[in-house]
Amino acid sequence: MPGDNDIKIDVFKDLLYDAVREHGSESRLFTQSDLLDLNVIPDRDVLLLVKVVQALTADKLLVATREGSTLAWRWRSREEAKKYTSFPNDETMLVYTVIDEAGRDGIWNRTIKNKLKMHESLVKNAIKYLETKGFIEPMKNNVEHPNKKMYIKANLKPSERATGGPWFTDGELDTAFVEELQELVFDYIKTKSAYLSTHIPMSGGGGGGGGATRAPKKGVIRGAAPSTTAPGEDTTRGTKRSATEISNDSSPIMQNSALPPRSAPSATPAPAHTSSRNARKVFLPLPAGYKQYPTVTEIAQLIDRAGVTNNTTLSEADIQQLVDVLVFDGRVEPIKVNGRKGYRVTRAVKQDTQSFSKRRETNPDCVSGAPPIPNGLMEAPCGRCPVFDICVEGGPVSPSTCIYFPRWLGIEQAPPAVSKEVTAS
Amino acid sequence: MNTINVTRPVGELLSLLVEEFLGELPARIFKVLLTRGRLSAPTLAQYTSMTKRQLLHGLVVLQQHNLLHYKVDPESTHMTMYEANPENAYNLIRVGKTLEMVDSTFGAAAKDVMRSLLLSGFTRISDLVAAYQEQIDEASKATRTEPDDEDPFAEPEGVNGDAQAAKKPGLVIKSTAHLNSVICRLVEAELIEVMHDKIFLTHHDLVKGAEAKVMKEYFPTGIKGNKAKVELQEKIADELREDRSKSKSLKRKLEQNSAAAKRRKLFAEGGLNGAPEEETDPLLDAKQVIRINHEKCLVDLRNRRLVQFVNDMIGETTGYVYAVLLKHLTKSLPRCRTDPLIDISEEHIEQGKGFVTTDEILDSLKTAVDLSLGLGKESRDKFSSRAAEKVQHSAPKKKIILEAAVDGDASADEDEHDDGDGSDSDESMADGDFKPAQANGTKVKFADGVAGDYKLDRPTQLKQHLLLLAESSQRFVRHCGPNEWTVDFVPLIQTLKEAELDSIIEQQCGRPGLRLVRILRSKGKLDEKALTNTALMRKSEIQQTMLQMLKAGFAHTQEVPKDNKADVSKSFFLWYCDTNRSLDRLQARSYKSMLNCIQFLEVLRQKEKDVLSVTKRLDVKGREKDVMRKEYYDRYSQFLEHEKRLFAQMGRLDDLITLLKDF
Repeated sequence: MPGDNDIKIDVFKDLLYDAVREHGSESRLFTQSDLLDLNVIPDRDVLLLVKVVQALTADKLLVATREGSTLAWRWRSREEAKKYTSFPNDETMLVYTVIDEAGRDGIWNRTIKNKLKMHESLVKNAIKYLETKGFIEPMKNNVEHPNKKMYIKANLKPSERATGGPWFTDGELDTAFVEELQELVFDYIKTKSAYLSTHIPMSGGGGGGGGATRAPKKGVIRGAAPSTTAPGEDTTRGTKRSATEISNDSSPIMQNSALPPRSAPSATPAPAHTSSRNARKVFLPLPAGYKQYPTVTEIAQLIDRAGVTNNTTLSEADIQQLVDVLVFDGRVEPIKVNGRKGYRVTRAVKQDTQSFSKRRETNPDCVSGAPPIPNGLMEAPCGRCPVFDICVEGGPVSPSTCIYFPRWLGIEQAPPAVSKEVTAS
Repeated sequence: MNTINVTRPVGELLSLLVEEFLGELPARIFKVLLTRGRLSAPTLAQYTSMTKRQLLHGLVVLQQHNLLHYKVDPESTHMTMYEANPENAYNLIRVGKTLEMVDSTFGAAAKDVMRSLLLSGFTRISDLVAAYQEQIDEASKATRTEPDDEDPFAEPEGVNGDAQAAKKPGLVIKSTAHLNSVICRLVEAELIEVMHDKIFLTHHDLVKGAEAKVMKEYFPTGIKGNKAKVELQEKIADELREDRSKSKSLKRKLEQNSAAAKRRKLFAEGGLNGAPEEETDPLLDAKQVIRINHEKCLVDLRNRRLVQFVNDMIGETTGYVYAVLLKHLTKSLPRCRTDPLIDISEEHIEQGKGFVTTDEILDSLKTAVDLSLGLGKESRDKFSSRAAEKVQHSAPKKKIILEAAVDGDASADEDEHDDGDGSDSDESMADGDFKPAQANGTKVKFADGVAGDYKLDRPTQLKQHLLLLAESSQRFVRHCGPNEWTVDFVPLIQTLKEAELDSIIEQQCGRPGLRLVRILRSKGKLDEKALTNTALMRKSEIQQTMLQMLKAGFAHTQEVPKDNKADVSKSFFLWYCDTNRSLDRLQARSYKSMLNCIQFLEVLRQKEKDVLSVTKRLDVKGREKDVMRKEYYDRYSQFLEHEKRLFAQMGRLDDLITLLKDF
């Protein structure tokens, strides 16, 4: 009896559909044996299963796909299925299927055409219909293929690949965001990988041996506590820092600032007048074998906690990318201690001790990190000369007609012809 | 051999340098020799259109300053062939730096002797003694006379700003015995070496000569087989090494003398102040001809440069420790670069023992230096002393038994823990006599109870600095054994070169440029897209920066066709960086920039010709300020100022070139 059979199939249809839904997500593929193993179809009746599955596929509730060489199915939600059944014609349905299958990556309209081997106008009509109905939408800000017209199912978030990951906003690399985060990360690494000393300054003039460059510093210390320094000591032991320490031992303040406690720099009890007037804050490198240089994981946690990225979540890989850029900038360097890969700031002594945000308040154009090592070539006019390559004596541009050298030497426009007066002697 | 590739700007630069230092006549000859190569005197006369008398005069001047190679053709013609010596000509620019270096390490007296040597080229010791004797005599007659006419050298010394300072206090060399001892010291430091006939040969001639000699002596029947070839190479190397060691004959003689050891001891204690030495030096053979050993000077200059690098990268206290370490390590290092022909197998021969111990460094540190400076402090449990003190044996020439190293490690650990158990109060008290102030300071700190447990004893502090150097990404030192330290110069210098290049890139193309170059350096060849992803930069920005760098020679492109058709529109374009190529270009740029400086100086001289001609007059010279009209004097002093700046700039450029070429 056909009616009886139909009812039976309807029942099994519902049963099978529910069972399948229970057993996995929309993307799971069920093979024939999987379906039989659900124990919905009695006696593992393959013929019955075929009928049931056919019915479900006709209702668009099951989608047949190919897994390897065998056939497999995945389920589709009833709402989606309803969409499918609502399409006016097969072309529209096929186009929608293709777009649906492309998922979050989206699909190029030319690919749709090629895949379906349909005429362009048909595809166009279908897309127009789907767009007006709000089933699909054009993909905006595609970073991967910026010049292709792509479509994506409505209400679907484009994939990372298409958007370019967290560093992109509206299809553009968000350089401001990247830079801000870099500064944040850099400041974090800087403070965590170097020791902030409120000590007397370490960096004096360039070059020279220890003794010579240290000379100005004594003056600084002595200046800090002039009242306690006996004048005699200045002359006899002026070149020794230790000597001034003796003279200072009655003033505990100086001891503290000369050898600060381990805790955070803010805890340094040096009074304001000492630190502001004389003791310059400076970062010092940490001794070898330091185990707590910040790792990428720690940096990621910091950024997570700080909540600066309010609607983007950054994975550790993203942070790694950020830190790598800092490494390439030469601002930080990786350091491995006992197999733990941390990062530390380069040239700690030359780093600015103020945090970036604070410095930017005073100077909006400032850059973080140590300034480049001064260099003889770049100091001379030739290093930055735009016509350096064609500059040759006797040519159109030559050292004798150079306009940069006089300016560099402070001659500016050289005075016109020298007066012919005879020099007196 | 540090050979200069004499390109056109380099040739011009060198002949201008010679002109600057020795005058126009030698410079003209030198220029012809540079451009034409090896020439005999008659042809030289033809090219320079000089009379024989002028020519010979010029050649002698050049010869005297070691700016010529010559070779007498032994077989047929007995013709002497001359060739320019561009290396030594370039060394002229370094004169001021060398003197300054000698001044700071050996004192004013040594500097004075070096200056005399630089002024007169190579000199017989007796002549030098006679010259100084004359000065001493004159000085004793109470007339203060300057050493002699120093016109050509006034400028380079002016760069250092201390030329006048040396002159003012009168004579630095008090007696001939003093002179003798100064020379002894410089000979021992290898800064002065003995001349011998082979010095005048070009490197090529030297090798050829050695080869011919070896062939004649050992392989009269020719070479057969690979083994014989290797043997030949070794024999040649031996021969060359022998030639090279000839210049050290005076030093060897000094070392044999027992007085040398004694003097060295005295020297180590207080000689640095340039105080008159004990007059126990052996009298030097007056017939020996001596000259300045630029190769050894370079070693010292390299040390300074490395210290400066450490100052920049880590800090000055660490830099000072490094300076002491380098001084010890390079004491018997004769030159910066090894000769691939000579130093084939037995590198160790002239390298000394190849490492320095912590104690040696400790013994040479100035007591005034506070080692606690320049390093951060954290509680001890945050450090892994095992990781810090990891010993790296990777030196090819030095093997340490593994167990020994492990033992050393363990004991070092224990030491550290001992310190940590509060016993350091005793220790720093024990330090008391060594450095009273420190102990004193510590005590107060204990009373405070704040930073007490950070007070480390001096050896530990020293070790911390050394370990920091070893841990640095630049690998300034290598911890090659328990408490033994060495420096791998070759990779370190490469790092320094790259750092220099990076700094130039950063200044020229900004930080984005630097970022891109470093990405390419570490990842190899990349296309634009990969570059965008790694650099987190906008495509347009990258294109702009890369173009700029391509033009400046910091980056290069390569086109890789997709298929056999090699369709340009379908090809991949890869960016890459060839660091050595960039460095070569940088060197060429520096030479040219230096040439521009010296040429511009010439322009200035032309412009101020009337003023300068006045200052050359005998009645004006020496008292320009009193004699010249104010307006003219102002112009003159301004010119001197500019001249000084240009020379200083050339010195700065030389820093770069020396690094790229010689270190």
